Amino acid sequence: MGKFLIRMSAFLRKEIIEVLRQPRLILALVFGPFLILLLFGLGYTNQARAVRTLFVVQNQDSPLAAQINEYAPTISPQLVYQGMTADLEGARRMLRNNQIDMLVVVPENASETIRNNEQASFEIYHNEIDPAQISYIEYLGQVYVQEVNRRVLSQAAEEGQSDAASVQEEVSAARQNAAAMKAALQAGNVGEARSQQRQMRGNISSLALAVGASAGLLNGVEQNMGASSNQPNSAGSILSLLDSVQNNPSNTNEVVEKDNYNAEIADLDKQEKELGDLESQLAEFRSISPNVLTRPFTSKVYGISEFQFTPMAFFTPGVIVLLLQHITITVAALSIVRERRAGMMELFRVSPVTSGQTMIGKYLSYLFFGALIAVILSLLLYYGLGVPMLGSWANFAIVAFLLLFASLGIGFFISLVAGTESQAVQFAMIALLLSVFFSGFILDLRYLAGPVRIVSWLLPATYGTVLLQDIMLRGNNLNLTLIGGLAAIGVVMFLVSWLLMRRKMATG
Amino acid sequence: MVAATPNATPAVTVSARGLTKQFGNDYAVQDLNFQIQQGKIIGFIGPSGCGKTTTVRLMTGIYRPTAGEVSVFGLAPDRFDSRLRERMGYMPQLFVLYPDLSIMENMNFAASLYGMKIFGRGKRIRSLLEFVELDEHRNKLARQISGGMQRRLALASSLIHNPELIFLDEPTAGIDPILRRKFWDQFQELKASGRTMFITTQYVNEAAYCDYVGVMAEGRLLMMETPEGLRRRAFNGDVVDLTTEQPLGWSEIGQLQQLPFVRRTGGYQTGSNALRLIVEEASTAIPDIINWTNEHNIAVKSVEEYLPPFDDVFVSIVEAARAANTENQTASGLTGEEVKRG
Repeated sequence: MGKFLIRMSAFLRKEIIEVLRQPRLILALVFGPFLILLLFGLGYTNQARAVRTLFVVQNQDSPLAAQINEYAPTISPQLVYQGMTADLEGARRMLRNNQIDMLVVVPENASETIRNNEQASFEIYHNEIDPAQISYIEYLGQVYVQEVNRRVLSQAAEEGQSDAASVQEEVSAARQNAAAMKAALQAGNVGEARSQQRQMRGNISSLALAVGASAGLLNGVEQNMGASSNQPNSAGSILSLLDSVQNNPSNTNEVVEKDNYNAEIADLDKQEKELGDLESQLAEFRSISPNVLTRPFTSKVYGISEFQFTPMAFFTPGVIVLLLQHITITVAALSIVRERRAGMMELFRVSPVTSGQTMIGKYLSYLFFGALIAVILSLLLYYGLGVPMLGSWANFAIVAFLLLFASLGIGFFISLVAGTESQAVQFAMIALLLSVFFSGFILDLRYLAGPVRIVSWLLPATYGTVLLQDIMLRGNNLNLTLIGGLAAIGVVMFLVSWLLMRRKMATG
Repeated sequence: MVAATPNATPAVTVSARGLTKQFGNDYAVQDLNFQIQQGKIIGFIGPSGCGKTTTVRLMTGIYRPTAGEVSVFGLAPDRFDSRLRERMGYMPQLFVLYPDLSIMENMNFAASLYGMKIFGRGKRIRSLLEFVELDEHRNKLARQISGGMQRRLALASSLIHNPELIFLDEPTAGIDPILRRKFWDQFQELKASGRTMFITTQYVNEAAYCDYVGVMAEGRLLMMETPEGLRRRAFNGDVVDLTTEQPLGWSEIGQLQQLPFVRRTGGYQTGSNALRLIVEEASTAIPDIINWTNEHNIAVKSVEEYLPPFDDVFVSIVEAARAANTENQTASGLTGEEVKRG
């Protein structure tokens, strides 16, 4: 056992001395990422990009042109209004020359198109090549069109409400007609009752025309919200009252001569009461802002974490993981291939040292080296840049250890299969590229198709990034499934590397 | 210098029988048969690519033989255990230690490889560094020292664990004659302390320092002899130079050739009256030659044994082997390549 440890220590000591003999390398490895993150944190504004937008309107005297002039400058801070033109080709040239970012072609004869039961379409052009920026332009275009639609609806609702104001007198008159009709029936004056009934019908019809459209719009909104039409003061209640008033027998049935009008009087009592209710509910309906009517919902977003996340904070766990993985893979990848090329394996084969002792010694030395970098870098980021650590440092250490262990396995595997040092470096760079694209460092894993995610979950960086984000930014405990996956990669790669090393050290 | 470990190992330390190594269709070494006795210096001499390094690698277990067998301390290399490996030291042909470690750190690395206890090894390292005259440079990085110093460091690290059997693959290659001489002095010291050494070299004259010399060419061991035996076998006897006041006539030379102890005459040496004779045994032939010159009234300046340089010995042996090979080839009707492939 003593000799086992001594032989293993040969590599432990040698690798550590070799690494520590290159202080500039350590400084670059630690301070390089720190400075990059610092610069990123200082330079990244996290503001939505402003898009210079030009509108093309063929008929600049049209009402739509006037509306664009009014709407466009205030629709969104991201839409920077660059004016209006009738020259489509000139506008396209400006787009190509990067003088504007977005070109909106306003539909000609929009009202005619709508009257023909078709949607009028705004055409939006851009000159972007980045899919993310293309999506952003599409999103901004949708925001613009939604805003235009909303303003049109809002105007309609506003007009509906002002119509409702104009019929307030008609409701009141209809109530008076109902009261006079009841008095005429009580007095047995059929002629007067019929006269009052005719006037009441006229007032109720006007009322239905004026209120029906805007109350119907609001009723649609309320039904989407799950509100009942029986709920007092709702649009459904107004429509229901209107319906009841219109269908009241005192309104629909002709007054005929007979001995007793008790039933008609009772109907008129009800009519009078419902018209009163309608009057008060209409008043309330008018008080609702058209803005609320046409855009009844808004949203407020709250993160459950108390920490205000910055882009720098978000990227920090990924940077730590990527850096640790890349350093360990690279140094391990170069380690054995360099010794093989230099002929050291001959010495090892003749000496009593075993492949197991060699591998354990090398693992321990690079674990120590990686841990040193992880500690220094993490403390610099935590104290220097104020990156959050909402979880436990112990959990952080466990993840970092397993990440280094798994990455070393991959590095030693590369070192044992690569023929030259440059090959080893190339393989290490491929591992880095894979990690940048598939570990969730830049692209969220949920954007990747199922089979491609298998590649992601073969990379230690994927586990490391998810785990460290959970620990550092969410304050979560260890996800045992992910920890198990990372440990499994480490163990498998250790065994594979060990077996390959045994073959290399065996008699040839 | 550290004393050799007393042991009860057999007198024969290494034994090879029909040892052959093939890479693809090419023979690196073919049908080697030899034994190495304990406490001796064995030198393998031959040109670059003749199979010396392959032979070392077969003995140390780096290569597995294609045919034949080799045993070290009675065991085949594929059965070496760590204890047996601790009894062996190996210095590869090229410097393979770590350039970014200091001399002391490289020595410590080698000591750890062989399982030497960390505490107390410093004294041994220092004594070895003194032995190879590197002690005062011990804190220098290996990449900062000269090629000769690197060879000495490699030698010291191969001796760190006090091995009984030491394989040194061209330890003197590429170093100056003074340092080469120092190395051989050190090897003699090691031999005196009981070590067995197997040394390969391209410098034919270094054969003189060995107890036994194996001559290799084209993957074959042409012969293995003591240095003196090598000379004798190369020239089919001892060489004696007879220098007279006047050149001998043809009849006198003919008479000399008829003498029973003279095998042949080698002709006059350029620019002198020295006639070179190949005799059975120089020590007995010289008095007889003097008697013969007295009998024939020939004025003699000197009669002395000539020791041909090992370069000549080596060339003579290799040429004889090639000639024999060509004869065999002609006799069997095979091409040279076919003969080589066996």
